[in-house]
Amino acid sequence: MFDFDATLPLMAVQFLLLAAILNVVFYKPLTKAIEDRSDYIRSNEADARERLAKAENLAKQYESELAETRRQYQATIVAAQAEAHTIAAQKIAEAQQEAQSQREATQKELDQQKQAAMQTLEQQVESLSREILDKLLAGV
Amino acid sequence: MLNFIVAPNSFHLASLEVGHHLYWQIGNLRVHGQVFLVSWFVIGLLVIASLLATRNVQRVPRGIQNLMEYALEYVRELSRNQLGEKDYRPWVPFIGTLFLFIFVSNWSGALIPWKLIKLPEGELAAPTNDINTTVALALLVSLAYFYAGFSKKGLGYFAKYIQPTPILLPIAILEDFTKPLSLSFRLFGNILADELVVAVLVLLVPLFVPLPVMLLGLFTSAIQALVFATLAAAYIHEAIEGHGEEEHAP
Repeated sequence: MFDFDATLPLMAVQFLLLAAILNVVFYKPLTKAIEDRSDYIRSNEADARERLAKAENLAKQYESELAETRRQYQATIVAAQAEAHTIAAQKIAEAQQEAQSQREATQKELDQQKQAAMQTLEQQVESLSREILDKLLAGV
Repeated sequence: MLNFIVAPNSFHLASLEVGHHLYWQIGNLRVHGQVFLVSWFVIGLLVIASLLATRNVQRVPRGIQNLMEYALEYVRELSRNQLGEKDYRPWVPFIGTLFLFIFVSNWSGALIPWKLIKLPEGELAAPTNDINTTVALALLVSLAYFYAGFSKKGLGYFAKYIQPTPILLPIAILEDFTKPLSLSFRLFGNILADELVVAVLVLLVPLFVPLPVMLLGLFTSAIQALVFATLAAAYIHEAIEGHGEEEHAP
């Protein structure tokens, strides 16, 4: 069972040879493959992370632009409403003024005509009363 | 040479052979042929699997590449846990090959019915159930940690023998002998014992009863490969780190 002979050194040499061969055909290429793969994954991940960050920045930028736009259009609406209000108020005031002045003018004309009518009426009353008087007095 | 159990001659369903080897004569050296045959099978398996896995390396691994990448990540993780992030890279091939070679050897011994191939003498089995293999691997581990210590600290490596106190010097020196001894005998003993237990059970009850023990054997084989590689890495780490971060003279 314990007979040592040339098997021992030959086996050692053979083992070292095996280690050398496997180093060339197994350890080096597959270690390279594994490390290349992890490099690839790492760089891809970094790339993806960068892109994600970029996309998030863009989204943030768009959101702020959107908010800005929203603020602008609200401001525009408010300004337009205010302008419309002032214009409407102005127009209303003008119209009221015009109506007032027309009413006054009409009133004045009416008064004049009334006065004129009164005058003519008065004259007619006078002439009529004179005629009546003449007629009454003629009988006497 | 010892036969644990001598099977009755009339009953040749299974028999135990321990200490019978297929001897090859190379010059005036004798080697155990059956150990080399199976170890060449294991080496061929590992090399072919590696070649298939790296023939066409894809970014998204499939099939055999996936399997071998899993194995590689496993041994890388093992080395990193023992040696630390800074120093583990150059040691991955050594520790990984230890693990893969022992693991595939153990499992090939447990899973492949080598008995079907008749040899003139001895029988094919896991290379790790031969003491020569395990001692060779353990001595390589010793050399590796000495090399690691010297290349990192130069002669300052010897400081670790008297580091806490010179009183422990004999024990520190003894450790350098017990480490390879325990490494080799742990692996050898476990694998041989496992194969013997399975063989004895097969001898007694050929059907079904040995199956749980075979499963246990698979588990032990995997654990022993892990233990051997982990301890090798731990010894190398110990040699690199030494006791704290004191002076690293010349």
